[in-house]
Amino acid sequence: MSLGRVILLAAIVALVVAAAVGWLLTSGRPSQARVHLSYPEGVAAVVPLGISAGGAPPINVSVANPLDNDAPATAEGKKLFGQFNCVGCHGYQAKGGMGPDLTDREWRYGGTPIEIYKSIYEGRPKGMPAWGNAVPPYSLWELVAYIQSLGGSFAPLPGAPADKSAPPPGGGIPAGQDQ
Amino acid sequence: MGTVRLLAFTVLTGCLSSVAQAANPAHSSYSEATADFSGAGQPGEWTSQARDYANTRYSPLDQITADNVARLKIAWTFADGTDYGHEGAPLVVGDTMYLVTPFPDTAYALDLSQPSPSVKWKFDPNPSQEAIGKACCDPVIRGWAYSDGKLIYNLLDDHTVAVDAATGKEAWRTKMDSVARGVTMTQSAFAADGKVFVGNSGGELGVNGWLAALDVATGKELWRAHAVGPDTDVHIGADFKPFYSWMVGKDLGVKTWPANMWHTGAGASWGFVSYDAKTKTIYDGTSNPGPRVPAQRPGDNLWTSTMFARDPETGMAKWAYQFTPHDEWDYDGVNEAVLLDMPIDGTVRQTLVHFDRNTYAYTIDRTTGEVLSAKPFAYLNWSTGFDTKTGRPVVNPAMEPKPGVTLDRVCPPDIGQKDWEPPAFDPHTGLLYVGVFNICMKLTDHEVSYIAGTPYDGMEMTRSSVDGPDGNWGGFIAWDPAHGKKIWEIPEKFMVMSGTIATAGDVVFYGTTDGWFRAVDAWSGKILWSQKLGSGIVGQPITYLGPDNRQYVAIEAGVGGAAMVQKGRPGFPQRGNTLYVFSIDGESVQPVANAPPAQEKP
Amino acid sequence: MRRAFLAGALVGLTGCAGEPLGYFDTAGPIASSIANLGIGLTAISVAVCVVVALLLAAAIWRRRGAGDAGIQPVNDRQPIRWILAGVALSTVFLVASAVWTLATVQATLPPAHPGLTVDVAGQEWWWAVKYESSDPSRQFTTANQLVIPVGVPVQVNLTSKDVIHSFWIPKLGGKMDMIPSRTNVTWIEADRAGHYRGQCSEFCGLQHANMAFDVLALSPADFQTWWDRQLQPASAPADDPGLTTFMARCAVCHTVRGTDAGGILGPDLSHFGSRSTIAAGLMPNTPANLSNWIDNTQTIKPGAKMPELHMLAGEVADVTAYLEGLH
Repeated sequence: MSLGRVILLAAIVALVVAAAVGWLLTSGRPSQARVHLSYPEGVAAVVPLGISAGGAPPINVSVANPLDNDAPATAEGKKLFGQFNCVGCHGYQAKGGMGPDLTDREWRYGGTPIEIYKSIYEGRPKGMPAWGNAVPPYSLWELVAYIQSLGGSFAPLPGAPADKSAPPPGGGIPAGQDQ
Repeated sequence: MGTVRLLAFTVLTGCLSSVAQAANPAHSSYSEATADFSGAGQPGEWTSQARDYANTRYSPLDQITADNVARLKIAWTFADGTDYGHEGAPLVVGDTMYLVTPFPDTAYALDLSQPSPSVKWKFDPNPSQEAIGKACCDPVIRGWAYSDGKLIYNLLDDHTVAVDAATGKEAWRTKMDSVARGVTMTQSAFAADGKVFVGNSGGELGVNGWLAALDVATGKELWRAHAVGPDTDVHIGADFKPFYSWMVGKDLGVKTWPANMWHTGAGASWGFVSYDAKTKTIYDGTSNPGPRVPAQRPGDNLWTSTMFARDPETGMAKWAYQFTPHDEWDYDGVNEAVLLDMPIDGTVRQTLVHFDRNTYAYTIDRTTGEVLSAKPFAYLNWSTGFDTKTGRPVVNPAMEPKPGVTLDRVCPPDIGQKDWEPPAFDPHTGLLYVGVFNICMKLTDHEVSYIAGTPYDGMEMTRSSVDGPDGNWGGFIAWDPAHGKKIWEIPEKFMVMSGTIATAGDVVFYGTTDGWFRAVDAWSGKILWSQKLGSGIVGQPITYLGPDNRQYVAIEAGVGGAAMVQKGRPGFPQRGNTLYVFSIDGESVQPVANAPPAQEKP
Repeated sequence: MRRAFLAGALVGLTGCAGEPLGYFDTAGPIASSIANLGIGLTAISVAVCVVVALLLAAAIWRRRGAGDAGIQPVNDRQPIRWILAGVALSTVFLVASAVWTLATVQATLPPAHPGLTVDVAGQEWWWAVKYESSDPSRQFTTANQLVIPVGVPVQVNLTSKDVIHSFWIPKLGGKMDMIPSRTNVTWIEADRAGHYRGQCSEFCGLQHANMAFDVLALSPADFQTWWDRQLQPASAPADDPGLTTFMARCAVCHTVRGTDAGGILGPDLSHFGSRSTIAAGLMPNTPANLSNWIDNTQTIKPGAKMPELHMLAGEVADVTAYLEGLH
């Protein structure tokens, strides 16, 4: 065979091989991407949800925000702060208006991450709506992360006193929620 | 000799007449406007927020004049212990003064016959505190009414309550709406014709706005007219005759909105009501449309930002006029209508004068709704003019917001160059006196969800002076409503958000949001007296005759409400809650033996 | 006939006969003109390829005659004629292709007077669809479906709320990008009634492949009836358990006209019961699929912005019944 024919034959073979490899690579593989957007294990168990302030068993204020210092979570929290109309009451810079200033060190119902979480989840008597039914825990922690980034909140308090009590029976978490 | 005598006589006459001129410098009325002052009590009383049905806020008392007002001093004070904005005017009926605090809406009756007035009774209605977080602009109450021996007022949590004025016991309480949907009531109840008229608030929370009439004796609801929805809800029937064609049609409160959006269209009635007893008509304005972001609600958005003339018996609308069709900047139409008769182009017209949030001062024929004059009373740039043929303002396209796009300077901002603070009318000068602002906003709109009980808003704003970083934020003007002209203006560093009163002594009183309470000459605009009070002033002054027949001037000092947009400015005062009562030389009620001679009532 | 043959051949080759995204089996004038152009250019290209390949093969396998060694001056015109013939033929075909292409571009320009205007905003990973009208009370919003009248040019204004997406209904028209902070305009027209499918055609993240939408072309009369129906508010009684649960769990993100649910974060669910698919064309709209979707959102469409709220079985059943009842 002449050189030209050899080259032509090689090109045809290469094409066929490439097509076959391509087909093999793309056919029938299930998607590997399965992103879990649920919150880390164990967090819900220590949040005795459903108790409002006053006359209630103390909560474990040493619980940290699992999304603390997480930049994408903070950014998403800021977006949610706008999308859930928080800006309408607390202001576009969270400096207050119809609702309190969230950048200062004054917290009517507590300024540790878990207390802020509970305020958002449960609502509060002077008009703060209860978001817990409609907003999942991950998004609530994103909102808390954003509020923490504003500088007015307090760090979780280490070793809270005499509060090793388990969540009260039937407290807050609807039966059937298994996480 | 005869010539000399003649000369002397002429000179003497000339001197005397010029002296006489100097002693009586009064010019004639600028507008020749007159008012019906009916609906006021005795000349020395102040029995309703606006003093009379026409909303003139004019008192016939003239003990205090331009000559002696500089001697005003504090006679006594009363602190009510609450912290929110104090916006209402105290009422004086007989020898008792009635006050209601902002949330928690406690009512006090003060016995004025004591040297330091004592509390006759105190009434705690215990409104739900959930309402606090739904009040856009402070948990205030903008006034209260007295009728049929009862003090009647709205609670923030959507009840209207009547208190027996003699005993302080609750006479009736009627639930009017639901806080869960973001509705509050801050409006001043208005009593006339055996009824009390009340309206809701919540233009920023996508409520369904309404005005209702309750029976004064029982609190039973007689009718409720909505600002949005089909004609049956809005109380529009066969007798409805709007002057301009774009308000003629069936169910425009539905048709001028995208599908179903009128349900959250607002149009709340949180302003003052006026009443023309001769024609049996009440006048009342509606708030901005919801959501505040216009991109989500194309259409004229009737019947928001609209003045209604209604029959007080049935609530049926006689005419309506929409000040800002498809409002894009939160220009509520709730500001008061002052009912005046005045000559326009040679004919005496029955008019109402209305300083709108959109910064046009309107003189409108109050029998038909025809706009006789619409002139800016302060700086604006959202509109390039008013089209008298169509009756619509011409919008400046550069000032129309789009979501996500920042507009650097829109004037006025959402609160207008005049918010709810009411003007006063002086029949001698024929002028209206009103506190104004001098501000603009940087605005970015955002699309918003309707989540019941949360703001349906979307306007991100920063406010500043029209004149730049060091400019003034307010002023006080005298306005000629017949010619649409400003006669004089007092510039103020801070917004002027107090009510105004005018008196027969031709002294006009107003207060600034940084706490200056001032007396001004009604003719010249010269400041005759000022006193700095303990907090900023957003309330309405009154003047009355005490049991000692002495004229007093009273004002509450407790900054709050929309004045709080100035919170960051140096010099902005702290919150407060004190009623100040002034008299000449600070004299107050004496024991009977020392009472001055009875004042001749004009 | 030739077009059908070629189309059939190609369809047969690709094995996509009857596929909803098959863009050779068109249903509208734009798609037809594009498909015709595509087939035509392919045919021309294939023909050219075949001719050239044959010539090349001939050139490679033709034996050199004896005595051909060494270069000799050639004097005959034969090679030049071949070249000239090739140039002439190529020019003819290229010019024809260019003219055809321009004609197709012309045919796909937006019409001056569309019969309908729709705004579509893409977001990860669904479609917000707003129907425009000169009468504001006839404007309304829906999601993940586009219903259009047959024979009417429909202008589609496109934008995006986050990243770049692309709007493509293969059987009705070409692709047009949806770019944030920008409005692009395209148009579509169906010339027969039927059910079609649209697909996002610009990679936009994890669920790009599952960002599809339904297109329904109805006769003009049926279309008006559909539109009137869409304007009707939902009418369940206030104590309907499905509505109550929906308000507590879903209303923050979703809208159902006629109720207090006014969220705009997620698709508008008014008249949800009349839609053919769920989750942007991902699965048919059946009660079982809907319950599954609510319960296992992140398993079915991982990364979707809709969270799993771990609702009780009773809540899921109530909400499913409520939504399926919204016709």
